[in-house]
Amino acid sequence: MEYNGSAVMAMKGDGCVAIAADRRFGVQALTLGTEFQKIFQMNKYTFVGLAGLASDVITLSDQLRYKVKMYELREERPISPETFAHLASSSLYEKRFGPWFVEPIIAGLDPKTGEPFIASTDLIGCINFAKDFVVSGTANSQMYGMCESLWEPNLGPEDLFETISQAMLNAIDRDCIAGWGAVVHVITKDKIVTKHLKGRMD
Amino acid sequence: MLSAAGPTHAGPVRIPMEHGFSPYTDNGGTTLAIAGDDYVIVAGDTRQSEGYSINTRYCPKVFKLDNNCVLATGGMAADGQNLVRRLKQSIEQYHHVHAKTMSPSALAQLLSVVLYGKRHFPYFVWNTLGGLDADGSGWVYSYDPVGNVEKRKWACAGSAGHLIMPFLDAKIGHHHQSQIDAKTEGKPGSVPFDTAMKYTKDAFTSATERDIYTGDLLEIFVIRKSGVTVEQIPLKRD
Amino acid sequence: MEVLFGITGKDFALLAADTNQARSIVVLKRGEDRTVDLNRHTALAYTGDPGDAIHFTEYIAANVRLNEIRHGHEASPNAVAKYTRNALAGYLRTRQAYHINMLIAGVDKTSGAPALYWSDHLANMTALPFAAHGYASYFCMSTMDRLWRPNLTLEEAIIVLQKCVAALKTRFVASLPEFKVKVIDKSGIRVIDVKFEK
Repeated sequence: MEYNGSAVMAMKGDGCVAIAADRRFGVQALTLGTEFQKIFQMNKYTFVGLAGLASDVITLSDQLRYKVKMYELREERPISPETFAHLASSSLYEKRFGPWFVEPIIAGLDPKTGEPFIASTDLIGCINFAKDFVVSGTANSQMYGMCESLWEPNLGPEDLFETISQAMLNAIDRDCIAGWGAVVHVITKDKIVTKHLKGRMD
Repeated sequence: MLSAAGPTHAGPVRIPMEHGFSPYTDNGGTTLAIAGDDYVIVAGDTRQSEGYSINTRYCPKVFKLDNNCVLATGGMAADGQNLVRRLKQSIEQYHHVHAKTMSPSALAQLLSVVLYGKRHFPYFVWNTLGGLDADGSGWVYSYDPVGNVEKRKWACAGSAGHLIMPFLDAKIGHHHQSQIDAKTEGKPGSVPFDTAMKYTKDAFTSATERDIYTGDLLEIFVIRKSGVTVEQIPLKRD
Repeated sequence: MEVLFGITGKDFALLAADTNQARSIVVLKRGEDRTVDLNRHTALAYTGDPGDAIHFTEYIAANVRLNEIRHGHEASPNAVAKYTRNALAGYLRTRQAYHINMLIAGVDKTSGAPALYWSDHLANMTALPFAAHGYASYFCMSTMDRLWRPNLTLEEAIIVLQKCVAALKTRFVASLPEFKVKVIDKSGIRVIDVKFEK
């Protein structure tokens, strides 16, 4: 989990959710790239953020995308974020004794009701359904501290963006192996706003 | 676990005597300090724990010293208390020898020397010292167990130190803050007293939510030119 | 002690691999080629366990070729890199995991855009504008950070490479006298002779 370094978090707002991740790709203390993708869009309203071993981030994101597509072809409807959380969970638990070194975060809106949903799981798929925020990665304690003090209920999309961005940027500045810029997606019923944040490059 | 472990139960099976003795334990807890233009806030919770047990809900780890300085000690409580006792003795002796009170900067240096003096059997303590400079401005000195010291405007240490530090960077250091209301938020590293007090309480109530070793009671010491005052605020006890 | 470099330029990508075959403190062979052409516009350079590396790269090269014959279509560097990563990741959690680090470089023959992929033995992969493997990464990433810019010409990229090798000459304990250097552009893959200061 500390091989590559990462920081991913998601927050609930009023009719919206936000998910954010850092962009570093590195091997232990050596930073190699600053444009690594850790958040993946699974369908119109569902995003997953994967923190952990970069290799498994790629493998698992591909596998989840495949499973979501198969589900949606079979069911002829979009997967809800809650169902997706269970899908991710059982995919991880399948490898109970030789796990993927990844701790996913799921954020999205229910395709029917538009109800915000966030969840996180550990590396073997134990789900945490949170009503406020979820964090994952090497900067998790810093992110918990920031989210716990900045987050408040019923934030609108703009305020939610500001809150998650502040929480992310200040948290990753206190982690040596996460950071180098961040990406934030704010998901509302009618649009998805993606913004890239500049951060300290050290 | 701090114990000279012997047979732990009187059954028919004899558990071998453990010869290893660990002289250190971590009693948890969190400390924080914020320095302003004419004040220093030094705060700490009062929970003392060991493993998953709470020893007591009230064991102060922040101490007022006789020269208008306040020392917050986190880590091992016994070492912290002993260190404070030694420092108080040194401060008193200094007073008798030099016929003046020790300056905060002198105390800061003394603390570093005392800690480094036990380089090979350190006090297991993360110190944060607050005091006012000769010109009346507040400063914080933070230490590791062997006496590395840094003079700063804000600091935190202990079990929830990782949680609080980025919050202080944002709110006291104004990191990543482009639009700041200077009236309520001041300048980076010099925020108004009421604002700093608010953030101190916010930091601890937030840390208490996520850190099991922080809670019960918050003791906030405020250093001003006129002297030191103490405020107590209840924290969640779960 | 093995070293790889990869640099992308305006319309080409460049790969360089040192040619020392060493085991422990002994140099077994000079002039070892640690590069493999995967198709007309994609080449690979590797370090790692020699047996694993040769076996794995031959497998990849053969399958990329097979795929091309089957579908009558040359795969893009992006597709080749992702296929290679997938294969390596598939073996990762088996008992015959391959210990191989790679740089995969090429140009997309339709768009002409250069591409460079960095991958280690855990199948971590990322696209980078410039990259290094082995101890060189600790010495030369900063050199390339300083000297690399978008739209380098081949001459400029070679100078960057020469500066990297010069940095190794001054500060790295092992001596790496020769490098195999390959350039991939729209016209294909070619080996070039680059002079490094002695």
